[in-house]
Amino acid sequence: MSLEDKLKKWRKLEAEAREIRRREADWEFIKKQPARIRAALKYYIEVGDIRGAARMALMELEDFRELLRKANVPTVV
Amino acid sequence: MEYAIADTCFLIDWALWKRRDVIFDLFKVVFTPELVLREVRSERTLEWITDMLTRGSLALFTETPDILDIARSLVERSRMIPGLRGVDLPEAVCLATGKLRGYLVLTENRGALMAVDLLEELRGVKVWRALEVIAEALRRDIIKTSNPRVIFKEYEDETHHRFPRRDLEAILNELGR
Repeated sequence: MSLEDKLKKWRKLEAEAREIRRREADWEFIKKQPARIRAALKYYIEVGDIRGAARMALMELEDFRELLRKANVPTVV
Repeated sequence: MEYAIADTCFLIDWALWKRRDVIFDLFKVVFTPELVLREVRSERTLEWITDMLTRGSLALFTETPDILDIARSLVERSRMIPGLRGVDLPEAVCLATGKLRGYLVLTENRGALMAVDLLEELRGVKVWRALEVIAEALRRDIIKTSNPRVIFKEYEDETHHRFPRRDLEAILNELGR
């Protein structure tokens, strides 16, 4: 498979994962969060970058992972 | 399979599963980099790690200069290909160890999975997610069940992780059930 085909494949997987995160998220919970946390959760839902989102939230990775559970946002890998 | 090396994303989910110890039936030793250990915070995960370190099933991996060099290079390279999710240092250390030492890499980090698929220098590095670990435990009858789908669902429910449907169905077909 060429690099371009591989990238296409990964983009498709990312899009599917994003759709699952968006659909399952507890948006009521997310809306109630402080601005920084809310932004980090939305970033994670859209991009799936857990480290980047944890940094944005000023949280440690494992703490942010726990927050994702509370927000009903699954990791899709 | 002898050795595996696990990153944070893998460990912090895997530690929540009631069948988490099956991993030590698959590998002689599971290593975890010191960098990764620094990111683990919950009492539950730390207790499990400590128990497993005591038993010798889990071992700390000290990042040597050659591993760190390759890891840093991977972090940079992963950001040079448009569309490739960047890899951060803890994952890159695991990938570098997979490359230099032949350890199987345990990760749930999409950037790491993409890097192995897309970067020439990581060709041959074997990467497993929880999906592949559970599949192997089922293949070898380490987990016995007449319905493997239930086992994958149990993992999803207990960790709040979702397996990509296509990958899960492919594995269930291959397991013949």
